[in-house]
Amino acid sequence: MLTTLLIFVPLVGALLVWIAPLSRESTAGLALLVALAEVGLWLGSTRNFDFGSDVQQYSASQEWFEELGISYAVGLYGFQFWLVGLTVVVGACAIGYGAWANRDRARAYFGLMLFLIGSLVGVFASQDLILFYVFFEAMLIPIYVLVGVWGGPGRMKATLTFVLYTMAGSLLMLAAIIAFGISQGTFLLAEIGTSSNDLIFLGFMAAFAVKAPLLPFHGWLRAAYTEAPPEVAALLSGVVSKAAVFGLVWIVLPHFPQPVDDWRNVVLALAAATLVYGSVLAFRQPDVRGVIAYSSMGQMGLIVLGIFAVNDLGLDGAVLHSINHGLVSAGLFFVAGMIETRTGTGVFSELGGMAKGRPILATLVMVLGIFALAVPGSANFAGEFAILAGVFEHGWGYAAVGAGAIVLAALYALRLISAVLHERRGRSVREEPDDLVGSELILVVPLVAILAVLSAWPAGISERSFPADAPAAFIGAQSGEGLGTP
Amino acid sequence: MIFGSWVCLLAPLVGFLAILLAGTRITRRQAGILSTTSVFVGFAGALVAFFDAWGREPEERGELTTAWTWLKAGELEVGLELLIDPLSLVMMLVVTGIGGLIVLYSNGYMAGDDEERRYFAYMAFFVFSMLLLVMGGNLLLLLVGWGLVGLASYLLIGFHHERASAVAAAKKAFVINALGDALLALAFFLAIAKVGSLDFGVVFEAAESGELSDTVATLVALGLLGGAVAKSAQIPFHTWLPDAMEGPTPVSALIHAATMVTAGVYLICRTHPVFEAAPEVQHLAAILGLITLLVAGVVALVQWDIKRVIAYSTMSQIGYMFVGAGVGAYGFAMFHLVTHAFFKALLFLAAGLVIHHLSGEQDIRKMGGLRSSMRFTHLTFLVGTLALVGIPPLSGFWSKDAILASTLAEGGVLGWVLYVGGLVGALLTGLYSLRLYLLVFHGEPAAQAEAPHAEHAHHGEGPRSMTIPVAVLAVGSAVAGLLGIPGVWHPFEDWLHDVAEPLVEPSTRQEWLTSGLAVTLGVLGALLAWRAFKAGRELVPDGAVRTTLEHKLWFDELYDTVFSRPGQAIAVTLRDRFETPVVQGGLDEVAEGTLRGAAATSAAQSGLLRTYALAITISVAVLALVFLVVR
Amino acid sequence: MMGPGIPWYLAISAMLFSIGVAGVLLRRSPLIVLLSLELMLNAANLAFVGFSRLFGEMDGQVFALSVMAVAAAEVCVGLGLIVAMARRNLALDVDAFTELRG
Repeated sequence: MLTTLLIFVPLVGALLVWIAPLSRESTAGLALLVALAEVGLWLGSTRNFDFGSDVQQYSASQEWFEELGISYAVGLYGFQFWLVGLTVVVGACAIGYGAWANRDRARAYFGLMLFLIGSLVGVFASQDLILFYVFFEAMLIPIYVLVGVWGGPGRMKATLTFVLYTMAGSLLMLAAIIAFGISQGTFLLAEIGTSSNDLIFLGFMAAFAVKAPLLPFHGWLRAAYTEAPPEVAALLSGVVSKAAVFGLVWIVLPHFPQPVDDWRNVVLALAAATLVYGSVLAFRQPDVRGVIAYSSMGQMGLIVLGIFAVNDLGLDGAVLHSINHGLVSAGLFFVAGMIETRTGTGVFSELGGMAKGRPILATLVMVLGIFALAVPGSANFAGEFAILAGVFEHGWGYAAVGAGAIVLAALYALRLISAVLHERRGRSVREEPDDLVGSELILVVPLVAILAVLSAWPAGISERSFPADAPAAFIGAQSGEGLGTP
Repeated sequence: MIFGSWVCLLAPLVGFLAILLAGTRITRRQAGILSTTSVFVGFAGALVAFFDAWGREPEERGELTTAWTWLKAGELEVGLELLIDPLSLVMMLVVTGIGGLIVLYSNGYMAGDDEERRYFAYMAFFVFSMLLLVMGGNLLLLLVGWGLVGLASYLLIGFHHERASAVAAAKKAFVINALGDALLALAFFLAIAKVGSLDFGVVFEAAESGELSDTVATLVALGLLGGAVAKSAQIPFHTWLPDAMEGPTPVSALIHAATMVTAGVYLICRTHPVFEAAPEVQHLAAILGLITLLVAGVVALVQWDIKRVIAYSTMSQIGYMFVGAGVGAYGFAMFHLVTHAFFKALLFLAAGLVIHHLSGEQDIRKMGGLRSSMRFTHLTFLVGTLALVGIPPLSGFWSKDAILASTLAEGGVLGWVLYVGGLVGALLTGLYSLRLYLLVFHGEPAAQAEAPHAEHAHHGEGPRSMTIPVAVLAVGSAVAGLLGIPGVWHPFEDWLHDVAEPLVEPSTRQEWLTSGLAVTLGVLGALLAWRAFKAGRELVPDGAVRTTLEHKLWFDELYDTVFSRPGQAIAVTLRDRFETPVVQGGLDEVAEGTLRGAAATSAAQSGLLRTYALAITISVAVLALVFLVVR
Repeated sequence: MMGPGIPWYLAISAMLFSIGVAGVLLRRSPLIVLLSLELMLNAANLAFVGFSRLFGEMDGQVFALSVMAVAAAEVCVGLGLIVAMARRNLALDVDAFTELRG
């Protein structure tokens, strides 16, 4: 029941916002209210969530199309719960940002944002393949409109590329879903067995490789992250990309053990290449958004590396890092947006010396940058360390590449910080100190605070992602008869 | 002991957070007081812990305390745990004690700077990170402290971030440190794979009992050594240290002399079982130390910046410590770490007094004759110089010569090479130290020195907040060495004995023999420097040799050509040749193609009624035909 | 039954229908288009009645009556539109209304 609420509260809110003929401020207020209610709902459910249990929490199941074996089935395990949490928190901050940025056509805008949040929660909570696909595609509609209407100058091409690319992958996945479901007689994830069909496996991989993204399916990334409004970019890189994480961990790994084994080295190599490629390119981007975009790509490569290690360290690390990266990326995009509002540009050659007179902005950029490069002691470090320690088992080369990426991350993160904050005042930077004000702080500081807490206590998530904290065994047990039988 | 240790660790953290969160609500002075107090409270905590441990039996001096589980992933469990034992207590006292003095000094030195609050926050943060490093109860927590001090170093070196050179130096330091972090991480991955844990006890036992194969032990030790070399600025990862002098002088004193750079030595001593299981790597550490010792010593001979000379001296002295740790003389290496912390911090702070007095001048060619106008500074600087050279009974004498004696005791080819090299190093030390001292304090005063800053007419050589720490350090530099008189008493060595049992024990005869030789060479070097000074010429004449030394043996240029340029070139090439045209371009085609197709198709919707009607008619006709035919 | 055979009815119906189609496609005045549409409808009616006569069943004739009712309704709407256009002084030309384009 609760899961259904979590999914439908934003959807119903979206509907309300669309119809209610309120002024711009009231619409923003209503949307914010719904988003915060959602966060409250999620927080409240933390108390009764049994993280160690084998059984799905807050699940609900309802036959939808009996003849085809499709059901409305939702439920949460630890890692899904955290992903939902990430969605609602970043979503609330994004809606706050939209309110602060005073977006025009408010009703359409806030309605779409809420709709996006609802579908994202649906993706993470679905336990039926067709339902998953429905929500997966439903995500695309609001993104298309949000980027296409409220985005930057090159937005049409960016959003079109994004949608076409994603749809191409999704259609392959749809074919795979249908083939898989029909052959098994049901679409319920709990009941569907395993398959060693390489083609079906590749169909799923296609969609997730585009979503993450992995090299070489990343062509949509740069344009989308740059042209999207900052809060949408935050959602894109912070949350939407994690749909791939969910799909890989919950659909691909448990149900395709043989193909995963066969293709493991290919995927690991691709993920490692993504990590290096993203980090190297991030180092030479001429603008703030570019750095964040390619850095995001690299980190997703790292996460996929952890997932395909298919062992305790890798999986726990991947989940932990997904949350961390989501928070950091979102925070960075918000700050980038605030910088763009003040200077009218994100290009490095126009920026510089912003630390003078802006201590709060400087602190935030510094803190987020440092978290992004996974300084030892940060939650990101804990996740990265666990992932690399896990993937070490499959080949020290991957871990070595990962360690090299640590140095690369230092390079691009420090470059970002210095280019914005240090040395001489850039051309577009104003002389009067226009530091961040309360209404802006409230969007970013909660993210930073959560990161700080996670840095002190990463076990908070890593211990509670999978039942009995034995992810590999749990995933292994998903195949075949269902739960509990290794 | 546990309580004192937690106070020690957390006090600076509290100080840091308080300054950070208070922001502009506290004055700059208050920030300085807050920072200083928090570090001294930490010192008090360390003292409490120390005395508690002192009162115990040697076997009971080590304690492990856990706060909570930091990371748990499957089988790996890493707790937020502290290990308090004689080794960590030594480091705790040094870090908070000398750190406290330096932060106190900063109150005077940094007065008037716009961003004092930021500075004091960073200093407190550094002390906390360093304490975490030395108190960390498992390898991962050590790595956390390790990375955080690297971060603090970046923040403090780049403190004056309007200066491009400072920003560049900070980035360089951080990147090289990050490389060290990566090497440590790799070593840890291997350890996890083989042993399943990062706890000191588990890993060390595996190393000692031979559970780790030779290859594994060697690889792990290599990773540890790599991290240590990067952090301690030993060759080949040393290029960041001279540039780090861009930071304010107290920063150089604290981070780049007394504490952070010595972390590598601490690491080797702490993880010595792993090194002992891979003796080739341990010997490699000694050799790298020797190379650094000599190279840094000669490069120091041609430096004109007062801070750079002291920086190279630091590099060289840490080389000594690496030599000591490399032959297994852990107690002596740590002993030299402590005495060096005293006199090197003293030298930096006294140099800071000079720089302050001369309103920011750091070029020693523009100094001279300060002996008369800065009597206190002169005296303390002299004490520091003599301690560095190793003149008895000052501290450097006891500690440095103990290391050399150990290399003699080690024997074999390695031992002899290290011994001779170390003695040459003593000569070099005499040469560059006296050169620096003479050029700054003797001779004719340079023009600028005639007109000191108006402020100092009141303060004399500096406010009390600056002179008191210098005085304390001078006293320390003088007497600290008395904790280890060969043949008589050696409480320091005994203190560390159970934690890190030395592999070699030089006899009293070897120690006194070595001391004699070392002192002779040191004095010889000093005399040669005196002679050159009197004759008004440089020790290293102009020519190819001098040019090479001035370019620091071309290391920077080498790294630039091999790593920096190709790296950037690769990034740019990838971006311009691959990413933009192939990936983006290809996609642009798709997007544009779709739009064109859409435009073409929409032409069919002309809006003309009759077109539609025609279309209907034709379709019906065709369908009718089809039906007829198929039927 | 007496009278011409069904082929004759169908031939006339077809001719009327084609003339109607030609009218719809070729004429520009909406009034003429409506007229042609009526022609097409009546052609269909003729076919219906013819067949009804052939099979002796009443279905065709009844349906022809419904067609007439529908035609009447449609003509009302159509003529109403034309009168509205004339009232606004719009050109009574089918090709002039192209706003609903792709």
